[in-house]
Amino acid sequence: MTTTEVLKPPAAPAGSMRPISAGIRLTWLHLRTRRVPAGLLALAVCGALLRAALHWHWTFNSGPYAQQVPMIIEAGAAAVIAVTVHTPFGETEGSAGRYLPYLRLLAAIGLTGLAILALQLGAVGENLNEGVTVLARTVVGFTGLGLLCSLITGGLLAWTLPMGYMTFCQYALLEAWTAPWTWPVRPAADHGAWICSCAVFAAGLSLFTILGPRSRLSDNS
Amino acid sequence: MSALTMPLPGTARALRLELKRNAVPYLLPLLAAVFYFNTLRTADGFPPVWTLRASVISAHMLFEFSAFAGGLAAWAGSREGRRKTLDLVATTSRAAWARLSIALAGTLCWLLLAFLAGVALLYGRTAFQATWGGPPLWPVFVGAAGVTVVSVIGFACGVFFPGRFTAPLVAIGTLLLYQAGMHAAQSLEPGQAAYALLSPADAPPIVDAGIYHHVPPDRAVVQVMLMAGIAVGLLGALGLAPDLRRLATARSLASVRGAFARGDSWLLRTIAVVLITCGAGMAATAVSLAGTAQPDTIAGGWEIPALHSSAVDRSLPAAQACTSLNVAGSAFQVCVHKAFSFDLKEVAAALKPVIAEIAGLPGAPVGASEVASISGGQTVTSGMAGHPPVFTFTADRVGLMFGQFLGMPDPAAWRAGFQMGLLDAFLTSQPGAGHPAGPTRSGAAQQAVENALLTAVGTSPSELGGGQMLNGRPNAATSAAISAATRRFLALSASARRAWLAAHLSALRAGTITPAQIP
Repeated sequence: MTTTEVLKPPAAPAGSMRPISAGIRLTWLHLRTRRVPAGLLALAVCGALLRAALHWHWTFNSGPYAQQVPMIIEAGAAAVIAVTVHTPFGETEGSAGRYLPYLRLLAAIGLTGLAILALQLGAVGENLNEGVTVLARTVVGFTGLGLLCSLITGGLLAWTLPMGYMTFCQYALLEAWTAPWTWPVRPAADHGAWICSCAVFAAGLSLFTILGPRSRLSDNS
Repeated sequence: MSALTMPLPGTARALRLELKRNAVPYLLPLLAAVFYFNTLRTADGFPPVWTLRASVISAHMLFEFSAFAGGLAAWAGSREGRRKTLDLVATTSRAAWARLSIALAGTLCWLLLAFLAGVALLYGRTAFQATWGGPPLWPVFVGAAGVTVVSVIGFACGVFFPGRFTAPLVAIGTLLLYQAGMHAAQSLEPGQAAYALLSPADAPPIVDAGIYHHVPPDRAVVQVMLMAGIAVGLLGALGLAPDLRRLATARSLASVRGAFARGDSWLLRTIAVVLITCGAGMAATAVSLAGTAQPDTIAGGWEIPALHSSAVDRSLPAAQACTSLNVAGSAFQVCVHKAFSFDLKEVAAALKPVIAEIAGLPGAPVGASEVASISGGQTVTSGMAGHPPVFTFTADRVGLMFGQFLGMPDPAAWRAGFQMGLLDAFLTSQPGAGHPAGPTRSGAAQQAVENALLTAVGTSPSELGGGQMLNGRPNAATSAAISAATRRFLALSASARRAWLAAHLSALRAGTITPAQIP
């Protein structure tokens, strides 16, 4: 997609457009440039994958192994959110729009909520090990990691940190680690795990909102 | 012009550029961290036995490499589509296939280099610790084939479906496939269609795998064959990528004809089709071979008749490490396989006090020896064998304990396991039974004597429950009778205990003595 495709000339003179519709249009354009509609489709695919995994027993029903496949899909949903933060416009957009931090905040929170909803819908009627509260906590934490990663690698490679941490958590799961910072492997009642997960999300969200992802007009790698 | 300043040929220069600009090196620190935690620490938790340590390559290392290899290859493959430069690069003189192959080769070089470096580190550490054997190569071949096929799959996905979501979705898909394969492989039972054997992911083997018998390479061969087939087929499909893209946008028959009329030469297309055919053939052969797998009747596991070599079925020459204990004036030899010689002193130290209690009694063992944990495809348990009797145990099972040689998380329980295993065999088995047999669970009197002897050597019977010789959970009256008999027998002097055992051992083994009859 090019800027020409996205930034179509307004249908009516800007002066005559009501503020509410301008806001909606701005939000829509922001979401479109981040490929959020396709991201929603990817999140729906994650939910469907979770349902298929639980329904056809791609994993064990109980014990530590039961958490492995849901954790992969949760990391996948977080990776999808992290990838949507990439902007094709780079610094130009930042210098032109003062609402950009609010739009970033709105998009990240909204997508995280929708990811949890999609995965929860995927698990309805199936036996999800540790329940949806752990699912939500894991998605929130992984998303925070993805947002933090986007500050360094840019949006397109921001999936790597959630994926790497998930791989480490597979080890922590089998070794029964109890540290709260290994929140994906802790039970729902572990308050420390909740604090760590939410702290990572809050840090990622706030830094991402203020600074934005690392962006270049052309990805060099 | 010197050799150093001479320009590289075009392909080499393009590959050098690709290696320089590839995204993989930037993510190597993350991959190294995951490798340290997931693979290296898991391997360190295993005893330094080559086959066991090598199992982490496919069980752990391939998992973490799959995530990154698939995603990063998809990232490299989607480059032209992501940057909207397809039309631009189509005008270059080089064929699309050559261009894509260089991008794939650059990514694959980095990933395989990282993989082999990880294997070298794993094997290097094991080489310094292992006391017998050498590095198995088939797990490395399977791992390298796994990294390659995942990279090619990811790259092909990137080429055909370029976009920002391709890389993470490929990474997730690869991991899900891996987990589903592992679940299927671990749930595989004899009599089922053994297609799950195609999955490189599986549970760790038994602790003495590859020590008494060769590990048949049958399974590894079909896995490599399948993965090579998929990789070759997809490589061929990449050769048709421009044509397939045009075909996807063609709207009429004439457009379809036009799509094939343009682009790379017919020779390249023919080679691509041949590669696709060969790859599909290899993959189909591997699948059909896996379907014929049968349980291995020699060393356990699975064998594929069409690939199985009878040379593999021959036992490996026994290599034992022994130590001699001087107990009550007579020698008691404790032997384990050289691969487990790191545990020999601990085994001897655990058995010594119990041997001192029973030495000289009828049927008392004159030695202890570790044997293969699989014989004729059946699991072997500890017991008495030979004449004069020798206490035989395996690296996997001693008495009712499992995985004794896998590690020593609780030294007291580990020691108690050996002592109970020996007393179980001594108090229940007839001497000279001929082959290893499991301890037959029997009477309360035997349990009371065993508990007393264990307590006398400083081991608490409750380490392992204190009721392992009984059939099921005893009722309150039986438990009270066992406790009382244990206390009475323990209160006797060592010589009095030996005298009573010498006189009543046959009856005790036969189960005709009750706890009340114990002095």
